[in-house]
Amino acid sequence: MTEMLSYDFMQRAFVAGIIIAILASVSGTFVVLRRYSMISETLAHSALVGVAVGLVAGFNPLWMAVVFAIISAWLIEYLRTAFTLYSDAVLAILLSGSLAVAVIIVSLGGAFNNSLFSYLFGSILSVSSEDVATIAIFGSISLGALLLFSKEFYFIAYDEEVAKTSGIKVNLLNFLLVSVVAVIIALSIRVVGSLLIGALMIIPTIAALQFRVGFFKTVIISLVFALFSVVAGMTLSFYFSLPSGATIVLCVLFLFTVSLVANRR
Amino acid sequence: MKFIVPIFDIKNLSFVVKGQTILSNISLEIFRSEYIAIIGPNGGGKTTLIRMLLGLEKPTSGEVKIYGKKLSNFKEWYKIGYVGQRASHVDASFPATVLDIVKMGRTSQRSIFGAFSELDNQLVRDAMLKMDILDLKDKMIGTLSGGQRQRVMIARALASKPEILILDEPNTGVDALSQKNFYALLRELNKKEGITIVFITHDIGVIADDIARLFTINQKAVVCNNPKQALSCEEMSELYGIEAHLLHVHKHEH
Repeated sequence: MTEMLSYDFMQRAFVAGIIIAILASVSGTFVVLRRYSMISETLAHSALVGVAVGLVAGFNPLWMAVVFAIISAWLIEYLRTAFTLYSDAVLAILLSGSLAVAVIIVSLGGAFNNSLFSYLFGSILSVSSEDVATIAIFGSISLGALLLFSKEFYFIAYDEEVAKTSGIKVNLLNFLLVSVVAVIIALSIRVVGSLLIGALMIIPTIAALQFRVGFFKTVIISLVFALFSVVAGMTLSFYFSLPSGATIVLCVLFLFTVSLVANRR
Repeated sequence: MKFIVPIFDIKNLSFVVKGQTILSNISLEIFRSEYIAIIGPNGGGKTTLIRMLLGLEKPTSGEVKIYGKKLSNFKEWYKIGYVGQRASHVDASFPATVLDIVKMGRTSQRSIFGAFSELDNQLVRDAMLKMDILDLKDKMIGTLSGGQRQRVMIARALASKPEILILDEPNTGVDALSQKNFYALLRELNKKEGITIVFITHDIGVIADDIARLFTINQKAVVCNNPKQALSCEEMSELYGIEAHLLHVHKHEH
């Protein structure tokens, strides 16, 4: 453990990973309860378009991922409310559409290499100090927004209509939630990868729900599971030279299975 | 006569969806401390009317005023407690204790940066006490019976200290004793606390003594000012569409 932490890149990866575990699990609770699980998956693919643009055009890929994920989040909310489309179909279209656009941009730009691979599956080697700073700054803002309106998000997740009739600005808060989720996803793809971030958001909450406890305890259990998975996953990634996103997700799945079995009725 | 602004002032309200008229030219007033029951056949537009009062649906034409204001200018939504049709149905795995749910009733009034205040907590406690669910406060909502859930939803509505309680058949799937207690509670809230009650129900016979007026809604609205005679009201057969029903049966026989 001490050997692992003597490397600068591992220190950076751990700081980034721990911030992401907090962000993904707290936002994940609202995402799952709001039935937005598939939205997070779609946003992760849209963030990849930003990464592709960044890699090819020479901008910071992480910043571009944030921008594209937010645009996609707003597009999803707009399409869901403005048209009578099946909302899961809208997500499927945007998900595969984004991936196609990202792959074409990268191919045309000749950047189809390890760098894209690391954004797909996550890589602890690639976390720069600049990334850590970006993750810390945007992460704090996102977490602040989530905590500030947590009671409203919780009420909306439980009963959107009653929340609306009690005077809560439901449409505005829905936009805010998907925007915050978009930012968190974009920040996470460095460490977990765009194909796997959805798992880190959703599975800790689903595992925590198996314990059938109140809201606050559910958030805490989900947070502990995500932190454990990120730390354990990155350690495994370091010692066995595996992509960090995949090892993190396997750790989350392990905890989920244990939760499911332990709470079986 | 003293001029009184009605709580709800509904003028020439119509709702048409995909060429089908759900509500046609409805004008009604609801005054402070009234106990109004709304009856009518399924699909007659009762729920649509309530949804328009709450701003959940926009009328095709006509207007709803609340406390003399247009709905879009109305800000004091905490004055209205709403318990919808699905009150006693919940997602069993939703992570919420009874206390979590009742606290939702205070959410829109809490200060933006603050946690719930002492007053919020006191009102939540009072509402639970009134609904006799204080001993259930740490129980998960998914483990409660239909009657208990119904009381939790009403406690949530009461936690915002509403002046009006709007209930859309919240008693489906609730046992008979719970229903009886529920009607007694509504009577008490109306008589003792002066809360205006708007109640969509099918059990009009049981509450006929409690209510001030009865609205029958079937595309159009008819107001019965003497609810005890409601069941013999001539308009009733018309509103429930007995003629249409007979024709329908007749058609099937051929």
